[in-house]
Amino acid sequence: MKEETLLSINGVSVAFKINGEFYTAIDDVSLELHRDEVLAIVGESGSGKSTLATTVIGLHNMNATKITGEINFQNKEILELSEDEFNDIRGDEMGMIFQDPLAALNPLIRIGDQIKESLDVHSDMTEDQKQARVHELLNQVGIPHPERVAKQFPHQLSGGMRQRIIIAIAIANKPQLIIADEPTTALDVTIQAQILDLLKDIQRENHAGIILITHDLGVVAEVADTVAVMYAGEIVEQAPVATLFNDAKHPYTRSLLRAMPTIDSEDDELYVVEGAVPSIKDMDRNSDLFAPRIPWTKPDVGHPVLKEIAPNHYVRGESWREFKFKDEL
Amino acid sequence: MSEKNETQVQQSVQGKVPEIKDGAVIVETPSTWRTIKREFLKDKVALVSAIILAVVFVTVIIWAFFIPRSAVTNVNIIDQYLTPGTQGHLLGTDEQGRDQVKMLIASARNSLMIAFMISIIGQFFGVIVGLITGYFRGIVDTIIMRVIDFWIVLPFLMIIIVLVSIVPKYNEWTLIWIIGLFAWQGTTRLIRSKVLSEADRDYVRASKTSGSSNFMIMFREILPNLASLIIVDTTLNFAGNIGIETTLSFLGFGLPNGTPSLGTMVSAATDPTVLATKPYVWVPPVIFIIVICVGISFVGQVFRRAADARQRLG
Repeated sequence: MKEETLLSINGVSVAFKINGEFYTAIDDVSLELHRDEVLAIVGESGSGKSTLATTVIGLHNMNATKITGEINFQNKEILELSEDEFNDIRGDEMGMIFQDPLAALNPLIRIGDQIKESLDVHSDMTEDQKQARVHELLNQVGIPHPERVAKQFPHQLSGGMRQRIIIAIAIANKPQLIIADEPTTALDVTIQAQILDLLKDIQRENHAGIILITHDLGVVAEVADTVAVMYAGEIVEQAPVATLFNDAKHPYTRSLLRAMPTIDSEDDELYVVEGAVPSIKDMDRNSDLFAPRIPWTKPDVGHPVLKEIAPNHYVRGESWREFKFKDEL
Repeated sequence: MSEKNETQVQQSVQGKVPEIKDGAVIVETPSTWRTIKREFLKDKVALVSAIILAVVFVTVIIWAFFIPRSAVTNVNIIDQYLTPGTQGHLLGTDEQGRDQVKMLIASARNSLMIAFMISIIGQFFGVIVGLITGYFRGIVDTIIMRVIDFWIVLPFLMIIIVLVSIVPKYNEWTLIWIIGLFAWQGTTRLIRSKVLSEADRDYVRASKTSGSSNFMIMFREILPNLASLIIVDTTLNFAGNIGIETTLSFLGFGLPNGTPSLGTMVSAATDPTVLATKPYVWVPPVIFIIVICVGISFVGQVFRRAADARQRLG
């Protein structure tokens, strides 16, 4: 299969200025995304997955953020683009789907006009063509009665419908890259499945690449092709989805998988990864950052590096070779 | 039973039962106008104020058209200080023998128009500067806000008086612009604080990911969300500006001679004899000012409550 690289992130680090000092939120992340591929980024809250997504689409306040590295999107170095050049790409070649559909819609603007916004910016369609495109999009995302819904306000719709609207806005100009930041977190389970199917359909139609940010491994198993597991701003393991679920190596990945509820488990209690992601101010970048949460295992010395242990399977550090869960000791 | 309960819950939450149309649930939330209407019905004082204001404004604006300029400029000392009711003068005449009713209407028209123009100018610059500082933040914000802080501590009444005295070719438009210079800083602060919080909302970020320019985001996305705040602020500032204009005119630094104002009418009371023995000369404009300003602030309170759900009565 000939895969065309759509987006390549090379050694990207992001640091935020807090009280005058820079703290690293993302440390040396490299990823690649191809057409027709779904790349899932998973991790706990605070692991830097959303920060990575907002870096790609340029939502950071540059006065308080320092970004190094390279992000290449369709042969454009997007970290070097000016605000205007970036605005030409955003909404046209890239779209973003937000987590909370109510917050991401302007409460005072009609649905149709909100979808039209990115058409206004990027296309030279006539008003009638835009209108037709809005109805077509609403149809595509499975909204009944597009003509009527287009005239409604966000608060008049249900959560699932709002998320469909958000998707319609993101795909209005048929973007090559869709960034979905926890698109199903605010929805109930039945709607989740519909939204994921919808994303897949859209991808097939546009041959787009999707970056899916989530902490729900069930969602990952369902739609992802490649998975990158992030912890404390670093990628700790990266593998094709089947490998990751069947042959996870890194202690963090294994802990996450173990913490996932399964229907045929005999235990009453879920596995809990003790502790929490360290706060951005307390991360010691010269140590094995996950080690404090598995104190019974010998930590890596110094800062562990990401190594390819099998084709396309990357794991950080060496400690995984000896790692056992507490009850397996 | 459970169905009934559910309906009650929804009713108490939304105020209206959601109707189901073509399989889609449509939740009707009360519109701004409906909320304002309900607040007026709950607050009888404000309702009465609104009716009085409407009647007064319409009367003043229409009647003022039929008052010839000569009625307020011609001096007739023979008819000086006629008591109310004599020779067809319902409220009597003033020092120059001019009919008090006509004076009152013409003055009210001038004072209201000037206060209105000042409000428009103040709101226009206040909203635009507030949007810019709140949206861009950083160094632009710091500089503009420090300038405004400095501006606010200036004794503005004194500066206006100085400006009024030194400006050549002085007319009502000069006065409007001079007062307008000092009418926008409060609005800027208010709008800025709201924009600061709005700019962090997801819908602004979402709009940015659609490729909208900063200008579009400011005026198309954020501005509509400030509408209720702007309406409240404009209303209350309008009352304040009537106060400022009448104060200046009372002190003799307001509207030029030949353009009557409520303030100049009240200033007749600076003559101790008039103050003590001829209350019919200065009481009507005083009552007029009080009624207008109190009425506007009652109506403004209703708008404020309609804009802020926590303060609502109904």
